[in-house]
Amino acid sequence: MISEPLVLGIETSCDETGVGIVRGATLLADEVASSIDEHARFGGVVPEIASRAHLEAMVPTIERACAVANVKLSDIDAIAVTGGPGLVGALLVGTASAKALALALGIPVFAVNHLAGHIVVDELEHGPLPDSVIGLLVSGGHSSLVQLTGSDFQSLGATLDDAAGEAFDKVARLLGLPFPGGPWIDEVARSGDERAIAFPRGLTAAHDGAANRLNFSFSGLKTAVARWVKQQEQAGIGVSVPDVAASFQEAVVDVLTQKALAACQDTGIEHLVIGGGVAANSRLRALALERAARIGVSVRIPRPGLCTDNGAMIAALGSRLLVRGAIASDLSFATTSVLPIETVVLNVLN
Amino acid sequence: MTGLEVQTAESMQALGERIGHRCRPGDLIVLAGDLGSGKTTLVQGLGRALGVTEQITSPTFVIARVHVTDIGLPQLVHVDAYRLGSVLEFDDLGLDADFAESVMVVEWGEGKAEQLSSDYLTVQIVRADDGSDETRRVDIRAVGDRWTARDLELIVGP
Repeated sequence: MISEPLVLGIETSCDETGVGIVRGATLLADEVASSIDEHARFGGVVPEIASRAHLEAMVPTIERACAVANVKLSDIDAIAVTGGPGLVGALLVGTASAKALALALGIPVFAVNHLAGHIVVDELEHGPLPDSVIGLLVSGGHSSLVQLTGSDFQSLGATLDDAAGEAFDKVARLLGLPFPGGPWIDEVARSGDERAIAFPRGLTAAHDGAANRLNFSFSGLKTAVARWVKQQEQAGIGVSVPDVAASFQEAVVDVLTQKALAACQDTGIEHLVIGGGVAANSRLRALALERAARIGVSVRIPRPGLCTDNGAMIAALGSRLLVRGAIASDLSFATTSVLPIETVVLNVLN
Repeated sequence: MTGLEVQTAESMQALGERIGHRCRPGDLIVLAGDLGSGKTTLVQGLGRALGVTEQITSPTFVIARVHVTDIGLPQLVHVDAYRLGSVLEFDDLGLDADFAESVMVVEWGEGKAEQLSSDYLTVQIVRADDGSDETRRVDIRAVGDRWTARDLELIVGP
């Protein structure tokens, strides 16, 4: 087995066309083309637009990544590609490209789990992960807690309704802020008071039960914000957007950090990795570091550019799998919109 | 047109369940209501009636999700049409599903989903004007011959 394989990773699960190249756990290129500007006028991602944008961006993005990494396609040892979860039409563009490259170059392809990539990507920035870590995955489409032990991922909890990033987008919509909502709320909240309004913390009460200890719910919070804004307007009181944004954001990051650290305590694992687009939130980063330090848990959060969707995270996961002797995907693998974290590689040949 | 008042999330799920029990392959349900009014909560109950075992979460980010149901029952296609700019074309969703064999529930579907079928049910959820009240007013309207007065009676329930 090659110890430092050259792996090209392709990510097209949503609106970013990402191509990354790694050698072992060293990042050589991370090129991203986003169709977010085209989606912004719709207030979100539109599948058909995303698929077409991926198709147009794919070849130029691969060429750019090779140029930045200063490698030729013929040097690549393996291809990694997001096999799911994500938008099926968008995923198909990436997986078809990956299959074509693998076939043409005569090299293996790993169709991998997008969510696992969001955790493993931290190796590119902070070096090898400890043998056991808790991962908090927070993005527009996902909110979950996972455990990584060796090569095995296991789900510990997930959202029962809205994803954390989705709550940011919807509250931004309520407050008249642009899409995507996360960065705007982060920015506006800086001048607000996070204690101004006591918004509810979903699934944190004793009566929510042990089964929901590591699950999330952000739908009630969104409703509470909507109600509060309406009440203020009916009472003829102006709404302080910074205060609402700060109080809402505090409710989200309070629950995320509480539950992530509860997972650490339940499992006795002292290392937490936070990944996904919401991991770029400045308040989440600050509160996680502060609370984890109090109970002796180490926190690793990749830089914001590696938190949002990118090809480097897929390349990093592919490289890790290859080095650990994982078996590649058969070229007949199919993409899937729903993929449990336990399935790290799709359609493995026996 | 018929209607009822719903006081809690559990009652909203129970309403969804009553709708689900009367669903057949090819049915279309158009859900309307503001953010946080309880649309996804209703779909959770509807899915339960069809035997969906996985958690039904908001489809906003992925636009549409297909849920596997009990053998013999139609699969559930759960759509959030908020971000779709124009009328909804089933094929544009790129789903591995057949409209004629599914129950399709479209949130934010008003004005976008109706042309998918000549028969459909619209469910409009309105939060009480007073922001401190949890009560929702739900109006249910059948278009076409598919849903009978008896269906609506059973859906509105006891």
